[in-house]
Amino acid sequence: MASKTAAKDIITLRGSAAIVSEFFGYAANSILYNRAVYPEESFARVKKYGLPMLLTKDEGVKSFISNLNAQLSGNILLVPQVPELSSVEWLEAGKLQRVVLVIMSMNTGEVLERWNFSIETDNEVVEKGVSREKSDKEIMREIQAIMRQIASSITYLPCLDEQCVFDVLAYTDTDVAVPFTWMESSDAKLIANPQMVKLHSFDTKIHKVNTLVSYKNDEEESDDEE
Amino acid sequence: MILRTPAPKRARPIEPAPIIESPPVGSDHRQLAIYEDPSSAGPARREPSQQSEHMLCTYQCRQMVKADFLDALSNAEKQVQDYQSKLAELNDNFGKADEERKTFREKLSYVEQELAAAKGREQALHDQLLKEVNDSHERLKKELELSAKLQAKLENEQNLRKKAESTAAAAEDKAKELEAKLGHISKSIEKEKKRFNNELAQLNRDSKFSITKITVDLEKMEFRAKSSEQEVELLRKQQEDLQSKFSECLHQKSELEKRLTSLSFEDDSPKESDILVKHLQEELRNYESEVREARKLKSAHDSIELMKEKLLEEKSRRERVELQLPKLQEYELKINKLEDELSAWKLMIQDIPGVSCCDDVPLRISALQKEVIDNLKKLGEVNAHLKQMQVVLDKTQLDKQKTETEAALAKEKADRLEAEVKRMNLMLSAVSEERNMLKIAIEDFKSKNEQAGGHASSSALQVLKFHSSSFIFLLTLFLLFVIYYLAPFLMITYDFLLVHIQELESSLLKREPYIKELEGDLFAQKDINTRQQDEIKSLHDRLNSEARKVKSLERESDRLRSEIFLLESKLGHGDFSAANTKVLRMVNTLAVGNDAKQTIEALQSELQRTKEKLQALEEYKSQSGNSGKLVDSYMSGKVAQLKEQIATLEKREERYKTVFADRISVFRRACCELFGYKIVMDERQRPNGIPVTRFTLQSIYAMNDDEKLEFEYESGNTNIVENGYTSTSEISQQVDIFVRKMNSIPAFTANLTVESFNRRTLS
Repeated sequence: MASKTAAKDIITLRGSAAIVSEFFGYAANSILYNRAVYPEESFARVKKYGLPMLLTKDEGVKSFISNLNAQLSGNILLVPQVPELSSVEWLEAGKLQRVVLVIMSMNTGEVLERWNFSIETDNEVVEKGVSREKSDKEIMREIQAIMRQIASSITYLPCLDEQCVFDVLAYTDTDVAVPFTWMESSDAKLIANPQMVKLHSFDTKIHKVNTLVSYKNDEEESDDEE
Repeated sequence: MILRTPAPKRARPIEPAPIIESPPVGSDHRQLAIYEDPSSAGPARREPSQQSEHMLCTYQCRQMVKADFLDALSNAEKQVQDYQSKLAELNDNFGKADEERKTFREKLSYVEQELAAAKGREQALHDQLLKEVNDSHERLKKELELSAKLQAKLENEQNLRKKAESTAAAAEDKAKELEAKLGHISKSIEKEKKRFNNELAQLNRDSKFSITKITVDLEKMEFRAKSSEQEVELLRKQQEDLQSKFSECLHQKSELEKRLTSLSFEDDSPKESDILVKHLQEELRNYESEVREARKLKSAHDSIELMKEKLLEEKSRRERVELQLPKLQEYELKINKLEDELSAWKLMIQDIPGVSCCDDVPLRISALQKEVIDNLKKLGEVNAHLKQMQVVLDKTQLDKQKTETEAALAKEKADRLEAEVKRMNLMLSAVSEERNMLKIAIEDFKSKNEQAGGHASSSALQVLKFHSSSFIFLLTLFLLFVIYYLAPFLMITYDFLLVHIQELESSLLKREPYIKELEGDLFAQKDINTRQQDEIKSLHDRLNSEARKVKSLERESDRLRSEIFLLESKLGHGDFSAANTKVLRMVNTLAVGNDAKQTIEALQSELQRTKEKLQALEEYKSQSGNSGKLVDSYMSGKVAQLKEQIATLEKREERYKTVFADRISVFRRACCELFGYKIVMDERQRPNGIPVTRFTLQSIYAMNDDEKLEFEYESGNTNIVENGYTSTSEISQQVDIFVRKMNSIPAFTANLTVESFNRRTLS
């Protein structure tokens, strides 16, 4: 856990994994709200990262995201109702390469957007268990910037006129055991000829998370309609 | 005075008589009248008549003449005495002048001797001077040549030094850059090596694992496919059963309606309606459960199709893995190449003397720089020496110039002196000639004086006086000239020359050790310079090789950057390597839940509606006896309305279809006539499941049916498909120009229509 010192905070592997998984949870909620995958009234306002964040009140979505966080970081406190967890959490084991939140059309199943969170893990920390130093405030500032960018992404992302659903994919190492709540998928739910926008990244000195959103080119749809 | 009567004069024959100039009146000199003795005269002259008179006259005359003659004699004797005295004086004077002349002659000879000696000395000095001047000139020349050579060498060395400094600086920079690049590259190479090794190992493991897994999955999928096919068959059977049941239900519904109508006639108890309603509700529930089962079956069917797609995807993945296997070999080759390059770098580092590893290169460069700085210092000192030598050389040159000018001046003076000497000689010769003339004149005078007396000596004496005075004047002038010009010059030039020669000798002696030191320094510097040049050459060669390697590394880095960019784009796209990564998907119950919720909600809403309808039916029945009729009429009316709506919708659909078909055919005909191509559209699916639309175009001006163009349209991109017609030379050229280079399919088709139109019209 992160403990505060005079100038910099000591970051351990577990603390960094907790920060990253927490970020995923809030980022997923923000994306679902901003892209109107779920109606506005199903979200509640909370304060996090110095910003007003929106968390879903839908129990199904809530449990889904909490299961995801549990698998990523093994933070049992966040998921009291989930008794079973895999023995090794991916972030702490350094096995997680990417987490992708996919937004698809409910009717056609076509992938419209892919929110790609790629993770670079410091293997030295994983192998030797050393800790790093970085200011907590700086990490929060970096995450805040990403959240602002997610909120402002509606200015350039195409409108999702139809009913959409979301899905989460995890890119892991091949030697990772598949938990029973997960299944191996050969379909990476790619978008053909996507437009890509790279967002900011944040670094806990143990895990570095890069954010990228790829979406279906809106010009193709307008050409098809014409 | 004797008076006499002169006898009558006879005509005498004219006889030549010596004329003597009579002396002027008042002078002692008297005129001598020459008397001719008649006796002496020939007898022819005498006349016998006049002899007696004549005898008297002659005696008197003779006496007179004698007296006169005696007077004249005495005067002449006096004059002779005077002349003799004067002669004696003159002789004395002449003797004195002679003596003086002799002394002057002696002096002249002495002076001449001295002149000759001085000339000889001067000549000797001049020769010595010339020799020394020549020697010094030669030495100066040699020294100048040496200095010029030294200067040239200095300049060369300076240029070399500058070049060496620049090359050393450039080499330093390059070495630093190379070091940094080396470090980066070595790190990157090590990382890549590790990564490649890891990837290799993982690829190997994964390939084996994936192959076994794929085979197992294939078997599983085949088994699942078989089971799913069996399930599908079962489900179809179930569906058929359900359909039959549904038809039975419909029959039952019709029967119920009939019963309801019969109920309206028979007016049965409300209990049967309740039972019917309950039956209906139960049937509704059954239907709902059957609908759910059907939907599950449908989802299972969808999942089967998904499984099939997954089968195809895994097959494609297997193909991709197989395709990537040669890339493994390429990566292995790359690793080998990188290892070879690393070893070459290490060997190169070992070849550099004093360098055992990359870290020693800067130390070696710093040591070389220090050597260069030391050599530069020495060069500076040598430059200072050289400059001093140049200053000395300049001084000697100036001295030489001075001596040359002085020698020229001395020459001029010597020439002048020579000219003067010549002149003096000429004067002497003239003087000696005059003296000789004077001697001759004196001798003549003496002889003449002896003969005729001293009468003629005065003029000769005057001439002698004039000549002697002029001779004396010339002699004095000559002596003065000699004294004034020659003596100081001789003394001064001699002293000056002596001093100058001594100075030159001393300076030459002083400079010899400097020159020896300089020569020694020059040799040492030559050695150092040759060594430095060799080192610089070797460094230059190494620099060139390193530059080549740097260029190759830069090319590789550019290639790697482009690869990284491609990989990043692929990452952004979502591609992944199946050897390192697997994609896990959380079991998403949200969509299913949403679907179920929605279906449940829809069914619940339907249930509520049917319940409301049933309640309304019951109310109607409870309210009046004719409620059955109303319900029946209401139900039949509703059914009729629905049927009418269905019929209208079906008619509308057919009408839309026909209209669409008409419009489509009109559109196609218009496109064919406007653009000249018959277009046939065909939907296809690629092996990876991506749908693709294929358009086949045939020109209306085509000569045969084989002249067809094929295009594939996929997600906004149109690509031409090669066939027999497009692979011909003419068409392939047009395809290259219009489609591939200019990226314009309309231009290509337009050009083709024009060409085929021209061909058609010409044929």
